[in-house]
Amino acid sequence: MAEVRLVDIEKKYGNFLAVPKQSLTIHDGEFLVLLGPSGCGKTTTMRMIAGLEDITSGDIMIKGERINDKPPKDRDIAMVFQNYGLYPHMTVRQNIEYPLKLRGMDKASRKDRVMETAEKVELDALLERRPSELSGGQRQRVALARAIVRTPSIFLMDEPLSNLDAKLRVTMRAELKHLHHELGVTTVYVTHDQMEAMTLASRVAVMREGRIVQLDTPKKIYAEPADLFVAGFIGSPSMNLIDGAVKGGVFRTDGVEVPVDLGDRDGVVLGIRPEELEITQDTDAAIGGKLYALELTGESTLVTLRNGPTSVCARGHADFEADIDSPCHLVPKDGARFHLFDRASGERLR
Amino acid sequence: MQDRLLPYWLLVPAFIIVLATTIYPLAYSFITSFRAWDLTKSRRPEGFVGIDNYIYAASESQFLNSLWVTFIFVITSVALTVVLAMALALLLRRKGPMHTFTRIILILPFAMSPALIGVSYRFMFNPEFGVLANGLGAVFPALQGVPWLADPQLAMGILVLTDVWHWTPYMTFMCLGGLASIPRETEEAARIDGASNLRIVFGIILPQMRGVILVMAVLKTIFALKMFDQVVTLTGGGPGTSTETLAYFIFNVGFRWFDMGYASALAWILTAIMMFISIWYVRMLLSERKMATA
Ligand SMILES: Nc1ncnc2c1ncn2[C@@H]1O[C@H](COP(=O)(O)OP(=O)(O)O)[C@@H](O)[C@H]1O
Ligand SMILES: [Mg+2]
Repeated sequence: MAEVRLVDIEKKYGNFLAVPKQSLTIHDGEFLVLLGPSGCGKTTTMRMIAGLEDITSGDIMIKGERINDKPPKDRDIAMVFQNYGLYPHMTVRQNIEYPLKLRGMDKASRKDRVMETAEKVELDALLERRPSELSGGQRQRVALARAIVRTPSIFLMDEPLSNLDAKLRVTMRAELKHLHHELGVTTVYVTHDQMEAMTLASRVAVMREGRIVQLDTPKKIYAEPADLFVAGFIGSPSMNLIDGAVKGGVFRTDGVEVPVDLGDRDGVVLGIRPEELEITQDTDAAIGGKLYALELTGESTLVTLRNGPTSVCARGHADFEADIDSPCHLVPKDGARFHLFDRASGERLR
Repeated sequence: MQDRLLPYWLLVPAFIIVLATTIYPLAYSFITSFRAWDLTKSRRPEGFVGIDNYIYAASESQFLNSLWVTFIFVITSVALTVVLAMALALLLRRKGPMHTFTRIILILPFAMSPALIGVSYRFMFNPEFGVLANGLGAVFPALQGVPWLADPQLAMGILVLTDVWHWTPYMTFMCLGGLASIPRETEEAARIDGASNLRIVFGIILPQMRGVILVMAVLKTIFALKMFDQVVTLTGGGPGTSTETLAYFIFNVGFRWFDMGYASALAWILTAIMMFISIWYVRMLLSERKMATA
């Protein structure tokens, strides 16, 4: 178990700045998720922690010790690679066993440990196969097994569930969460899937173009996104972001009139989550327009209405039915939060 | 009807050319290998002698010597080339500042004619004015005045050296191609799992290079079996018959002693050896494929 500290680290590939100078502390036993769109530097950050990538400047500390110059094997980490990185010439058993073998564990204990781990990820029936004889999901589970077969101080996982089908992904997510609870090992987990981040993380670091734009608990990030980018990235369906202006304490745009606690200002974006809106018959309601689309998701119906350039989505009752293009009105539920952002800078105003 | 035959008619010229340039000489030499034909006595092949030419070969000491010389040459030159190429490729695979430069330098030896290589090494190992002979003598006094090409073992060593020097760069490129196709993550995973550099090379990289190494070894074997140019220009098969390879011996039988029947039989023995190796190689490769995909 270990605390990981990145101090003023920076990574350049030639002239390309992949990760600008920043710091990050990952607490002992924490499940930290690096979340961001593809190409934002998540893998690069993780590879720097693993020691697979030199850092251009800054320090990496594990358990308070500066490990910049330590080779990967001395950092006591285990890593799951985005594209598995399985040894193609070894069977599943040999793949899982390899880290134990290299660390000099005796044969009998190795065998038990491999079996135990394989059962945990449901690979016990496939131990004698080679990676080329496995499906994508099975390969990913081998990669996972190879990482958890040892109990290192830190787990590094680079999109370990990205190649699984939806159902297996949900199962494995719970499995990972349980595993973390059981082992309590500090984990850095990379994903571009906000749902995975929300469900797994102790804390989420949302990244954009190499920079961590917000670092907080999933709850806090959901409730109080630091800027427009985070607001749009977290939540499914994503937060409604409505362009408008505030005048006399009221946010106004086509079809929307909401009282807000903000001085007069142009170029304001109002954010409100679909699940905090409800459909009403009241024609004087805060938000009004024509029904644009209805999407049944099973437990609810997503209702989208439009008015001029404004488009607003609400999560309605699963039984809700209405004609497309008929007038439709929405009100914020009790206790709903309005988020206000500056259009130009993206910064949160309130 | 005509339309359906037309494509075949169009193939006829090409077929005739192949027939004339490849199949006819092959068939002719095969038939000749069963005849007596002394060019000094007759301009046309003489009578059929059955497999006498082949039987004679089996007991003729000069042929058996050339077979042995070829065997030694093939084993050493293939092993050295493959190992050296692999080692060089492992050193060169990282993109460094010298990346392009080393690759240009590498291609030079392969661009040289083997006959020319033989000539230049012959000069370089000349005991009186050879650069290498004198250079080695200056650095290691024990090597002063060594008659490099006059010593059977040393001559063979130098012959192997010229071949390794000629082929290693090309094989290095093949290795570099193979290395580039290995997923980077397998090596990195091993690094994290705690493998030493040596262990990564032997336990992770080389097993994944099996297919490439096999192709290289077979290609190199087939070329080494045909070793001829440097024998002519470097050693002339000597001293004695110590560097007389099979190809060189066949040339002597045919064009010095003009025994065309015997020469043809010998040529077909060489062909059979190469075919045997090729077939074995294809089978190995197929089983390799099966292992990788099944
Ligand atoms: N070896 C490399 N050389 C040059 N640029 C790279 C290299 N690796 C990654 N990058 C660049 O760095 C950025 C971040 O990449 P990466 O960390 O892989 O993103 P992510 O994992 O978030 O999708 C990308 O723009 C990518 O093109
Ligand atoms: Mg990535």
